[in-house]
Amino acid sequence: MENQSKIRTQTKTKLVIDVLIFIAFLITMDPHSSGIAVHEWLATAAIAALVAHLLLNWDWIVQITRRFLGKVNTQSRINYILNWLLFIDGTVIMLSGFMISESLLPFLGISLPGNFAWRSWHDLSANLFLILLGLHTALHWIWIVDAFKRFVFRPIGRIFSTRSRKDIAA
Amino acid sequence: MKILGRILIILAVFTIVIGVAYVAINTGSSSSSATVPAFERGGERFPAPDGERPEFDGERPEFGGGWIVGFIKNIGIIAVVVALITIPKTFKRRKIAGFNAQ
Repeated sequence: MENQSKIRTQTKTKLVIDVLIFIAFLITMDPHSSGIAVHEWLATAAIAALVAHLLLNWDWIVQITRRFLGKVNTQSRINYILNWLLFIDGTVIMLSGFMISESLLPFLGISLPGNFAWRSWHDLSANLFLILLGLHTALHWIWIVDAFKRFVFRPIGRIFSTRSRKDIAA
Repeated sequence: MKILGRILIILAVFTIVIGVAYVAINTGSSSSSATVPAFERGGERFPAPDGERPEFDGERPEFGGGWIVGFIKNIGIIAVVVALITIPKTFKRRKIAGFNAQ
């Protein structure tokens, strides 16, 4: 029973963090609307959320890393490779973003030698990240739908059904 | 303590990937492109000829819901990728379930 409630809390935390990362990503993907300062500070803050995401899925990462060359089903293997690609691509986005930073690093008094290549790498890796995020979402779609049903739609439905019951009683 | 160790592992891998990416990109680009002159990186800009306005390359205020277009575009790309993978998967699963039911 205690174990079940622990899993339930962990799933809820995962869902909240994932939704926050997703929203942060959508905001940072459009720097012309959010502004360069928001784009850079939010993306840097997202590192903490990404670390939390990895920590919450740590057991899965360790399990698949150990068994990767042995007996693992194809979907887990594809998922694992995709996660590594996401991690590497995310790192390239961060690195190239820092190299062309116009707000965060100047604010911290750091200036880096600029290079035209960093901007194109930043754009390229961000566009690739969008596709990889789509694949990542697709591979976890059942989990996402299930978690939304359990923690978002059902509680909302319960609120409405108790309200209508109260209305009938009144 | 366990969590701290895990965070250190993540940061160590992050640093290694950053190092490799930095070397790879710098090596690849050093032969093909020049370094951006300092005046283009936030310093004083040269005035444009004939009093023209310099080309704008930074933040720009968007009017008329420009951010919504960007937002929808990005969500749309993700949605298309998700649909391309999940819809055939669902059909396949239903087909298998149908065969098993018969």
